[in-house]
Amino acid sequence: MITLTSVTIILAAVILVVLAVVVAYILGWANRAFHVEVDPAVAKINEALPGANCGGCGYVGCLEYAEAVAASRAATTLCAPGGNACSQKLADILGIEAEQTEKQLAVVHCSATLDERLGLSAYDGEKTCAAANLVAGVQDCAYGCLGYGDCASACPYSAISIEKGLASVDRDKCLGCKKCITACPRGVISMVPFGAERTLAVICGNRDFGADVKSVCLTGCIGCKACAKLSEAIEMNGNLPVIDYDRLIPQGDLETVAAKCPMNALAVIGTPLNRPSFSGGATRDKRSRESVQVS
Amino acid sequence: METTIILIQIVVGAALINNFVLHYFVGICPFLGVSRRLDTAFGMGCAVTFVISIAAFLSWTFTYFILRPEAPLPTWVWATLGGDPSVHVDLSVLSYIMYIFVIASSVQFVEMYVRKFFPPLYKSFGVFLPLITTNCAILFACLEIMKHLQDPTRLWGLPEAMALAMGGGIGFTLAMVLMAGIREELDLCDVPRPLRGAGIALIVAGIMAMAFMGFAGVDKGLETTLSSMLH
Repeated sequence: MITLTSVTIILAAVILVVLAVVVAYILGWANRAFHVEVDPAVAKINEALPGANCGGCGYVGCLEYAEAVAASRAATTLCAPGGNACSQKLADILGIEAEQTEKQLAVVHCSATLDERLGLSAYDGEKTCAAANLVAGVQDCAYGCLGYGDCASACPYSAISIEKGLASVDRDKCLGCKKCITACPRGVISMVPFGAERTLAVICGNRDFGADVKSVCLTGCIGCKACAKLSEAIEMNGNLPVIDYDRLIPQGDLETVAAKCPMNALAVIGTPLNRPSFSGGATRDKRSRESVQVS
Repeated sequence: METTIILIQIVVGAALINNFVLHYFVGICPFLGVSRRLDTAFGMGCAVTFVISIAAFLSWTFTYFILRPEAPLPTWVWATLGGDPSVHVDLSVLSYIMYIFVIASSVQFVEMYVRKFFPPLYKSFGVFLPLITTNCAILFACLEIMKHLQDPTRLWGLPEAMALAMGGGIGFTLAMVLMAGIREELDLCDVPRPLRGAGIALIVAGIMAMAFMGFAGVDKGLETTLSSMLH
């Protein structure tokens, strides 16, 4: 006996089963017909990258960089946080020879703390370097660190801190993403190659003549050329020593060169950091002594 | 002539007078969730319009031939099995499960299709396409179409169903874009602290819904204008 209820139930079940089979078939066909070839290397490369999405390589995120590397549009060496190990991994995945790059870390080219800068005005505006930099005469040195910490807030790894109005980079935390360089309105920060554990860096950016520098800063480079006479890797350019890092021998006697600087504008940096957190009444002599001892 | 007027009325009715979001309050989730930026809101609106049209087409087909009372397929089966012709098999209980099924699978299909043939579009839609599966505005459109297929004397054809879907999609996009524009401006305003974020967004949505109430009665005027224009 056929009842309305049984027909309804059976019909409903049959319709749903048929529909499910048809849709499953269509979707299965579509999955194959509309299959998009994804380079399997992209996923592998993306996994090998640090995943910090810092943008230091110039791409929007790690995935985009991975796509560029897989398509051979980008070099394997662009990832600063990953460093050489990462570059090696990427090269292994792609089956190419790895290029070695020297680790590059941020260095603040200014060493004057607040009490060493002259002609500070009572700036009461927006507490950012970008705003302060617009004010003429916020401090007499037009090259030095302003100390409002634009770089520190730009750093994704909290590697920069402001100590006594001076940005200082913790090079154990710095991964070389270059965000601070773009953030600094005065261009005080730049990347310095760290082939070895330590290297020499000019920690002043003032390009004026000695007398002018002395009138604005207690610790600025006066362009005395003492370092240039001592080391072949150093040449003078616009009253500032410029270090040719290709010719600088990291194992060499960097301390002697640094100690020669009468203004402490040249320093050995790296591990161990030369710049101890000197407290209140640290004299200039004590500083230079410390820098030699520690380094 | 007559059908054109009806179609225009359905489109205007679904887009403005009975706006899905601001009159029926369906699809509120993307309306509040994806309306922070103008371009993403517009993308979401377009994606919904696209999927709603496909879903409306499929659901009209299923409803017309299978689910409505006196639908051809169950009637034929019933007659073949020798049932009483005065009684009808009514499969409208299946409507919800069928619609969900249809929406989910068509979203899947559309996603694969767009991914293959329009990669930039796929990138910009990306997250939104799968989200549309759970967008109740689309299910609402399907149920609305089903409502108009219940009475065998005044059945909606496919054009009417598509007009409703298109109008609903346009109305949804309009509401999304308006909301995103307002919220972009809101970011620059001094909103009282407790109301920031979702609070002010809900208040804005309520005021927008009240503003859309002003469209009530437009359909009558539209009908007279259109018929005088056409005759």
